[in-house]
Amino acid sequence: MALDNIVHVRGYRFPALAMAAVPLCFAISGILIRFAAFTVIWPDHSLQAYLESLCRWDCSWYIDISKHGYEGFPIPGESNVGRWGFFPLYPIVVAGVSGILPFSTANVAIATSIALSYASCLMAWQLLDRNLRAYVLYSAFLLSGPFSFYYTSVLSEPLFVLLTSCVFLALKRNNYLAAGISSALLSAARPVGVFIVFATVIRMFEEHRERGRPVLSFPRRVLLRPDLLVAILISPAGLFAYMLYLYLTVGDAFAFSHVQRAFGRVTGNPLQFLWDGFSETPTTGWLPTSPQWSAFACVAGLTLSAILAYRRQYGMALFCALGIVLPLLTNLASMVRYVVGLAPLILLSMVLLAKSRLTFYAALVLLPAACYFTTIAWMGGNLALV
Amino acid sequence: MPWSSLPMPRRRADFLAGYVLAALLAGAEIAVLGLALNPRVYPDYRAFYIDRTTTCLNRDRVGSFRLGETISFRYLGQRPKLMKRAEDMKVCGWSGAAGDGTHSLGKTSRLRVKILGVRGGLVATLEMAPVLRPPQTAQRVIISANGVRVHEATLTGDALQEFSFAIPQAVLADAELLDIAFDYPDSVRQTPVASNIYDRAIKLVSFRLEAVAAGGGTKSRAIDRTSAT
Repeated sequence: MALDNIVHVRGYRFPALAMAAVPLCFAISGILIRFAAFTVIWPDHSLQAYLESLCRWDCSWYIDISKHGYEGFPIPGESNVGRWGFFPLYPIVVAGVSGILPFSTANVAIATSIALSYASCLMAWQLLDRNLRAYVLYSAFLLSGPFSFYYTSVLSEPLFVLLTSCVFLALKRNNYLAAGISSALLSAARPVGVFIVFATVIRMFEEHRERGRPVLSFPRRVLLRPDLLVAILISPAGLFAYMLYLYLTVGDAFAFSHVQRAFGRVTGNPLQFLWDGFSETPTTGWLPTSPQWSAFACVAGLTLSAILAYRRQYGMALFCALGIVLPLLTNLASMVRYVVGLAPLILLSMVLLAKSRLTFYAALVLLPAACYFTTIAWMGGNLALV
Repeated sequence: MPWSSLPMPRRRADFLAGYVLAALLAGAEIAVLGLALNPRVYPDYRAFYIDRTTTCLNRDRVGSFRLGETISFRYLGQRPKLMKRAEDMKVCGWSGAAGDGTHSLGKTSRLRVKILGVRGGLVATLEMAPVLRPPQTAQRVIISANGVRVHEATLTGDALQEFSFAIPQAVLADAELLDIAFDYPDSVRQTPVASNIYDRAIKLVSFRLEAVAAGGGTKSRAIDRTSAT
């Protein structure tokens, strides 16, 4: 009944079953497209080999954390790269599901990621104001799109996107406590997750202004409303819990940040990183180099953030801008993944593509088609997709 | 349900509970921040991860040697046991063995060996070649033994160079281990924006320790690359 109530599509009723079926269809088509791509570059065409082929880059870190947890110091195996840089919520979820299902951790992780992405699609229905075309495109992007391997393999992106959607949906309904609890979980999923607290404060301020109250009385109002205070203070709780855990395990609550040194990340001028990225022109052929793709992704992400701000979605805009600029302070690595992991940017992109019938149908064809080629690049270890 | 619509006693209780929860959260977060600002870590951890005063994270590696034995740091393919001798000595700041030797990584590299039963001083002999990026023409290597500076070598050109230097008895006295550190003030950064943990400076080809002989001191010579392989 509750589900049925939320599926009114601008004047007509869109059956709940159909709403649930859209992402399900794209989940299935995505699996088939990625499998087709896999058969091109992998000699062994078994299902297990397919699942293994999806496990790239950070995947093995998350699998190890799900199986063995975090190490102390000195790091076993005489490594200088600890697992502490990988936030715990996704591996905790995978470990929890692995404890129930009798399959390997990697297989469970992939199934969990698909389920989380599916849930993100359902969550998007309300965030997209029941815009059916945008909803279809969003489902296609997440589950059958050019970056669907991020949302359907062993990475924290599916959980991050789902929790981001939960926070913004709660904020849309002015349910600050739900937003705070979702934010707390988000802050334990990825380092930039904690910055969503600014979106909560911005929404509180907007609501304050909508009621005709003066700007200067906002701090007083927050202090006089313990529910708002709790919502703000609980938002970074996941990060603080992880920091406490690191302090007890490693002796350093900032180990997640300090370990970046072992990954060779250095802080620098983001504009310089962008310039360097664009300057790395291909020596042969016309396809952009990996740094160029990363720089393009950065600029596209920041442009979409600016559009969000223009559309007065200031909380989303700030969260996305911070989610791009902060990693950019250390270099362009993984920038494509960071940008497409920001749910508000994807939601906005799909709304823009759904505006006209032509772009909608073009995107509906191109997104799954691109999935095939990008999956080949992902399985082939393309550095732009790290 | 908005709090304003709750009955008065319940509203007051909820208010109070809200403030208590907010205070608990704030207190817990301030406490964790306090802990975060006062890490309780090993000196090696602090030097590498927090203070960033070294690029070489100390590890529990201790190799062994026989006096007069030359240990190769080249990739030896089918002779893993020989390669393991070198591997066991490499504490940090080294890449894997390659055909032209073991490349240094970062601003400092370290080797460590057991020296139980060694009486008197030692003479160390190293074969090394520099990693140079034009217009750079020389690579300085400052060598310390158990924290005491014992030698500074300047490597130039492409050719392998052999260096011998004395490690005085005073440095080894009562010590069970010999820890040799190589510092590279002129190390080559991989790219202008790369981390210094990936800096390159030398290729170490071989290492030998001998008992000090009368008149033993410091010497160096360039050797022909092909004859050294």
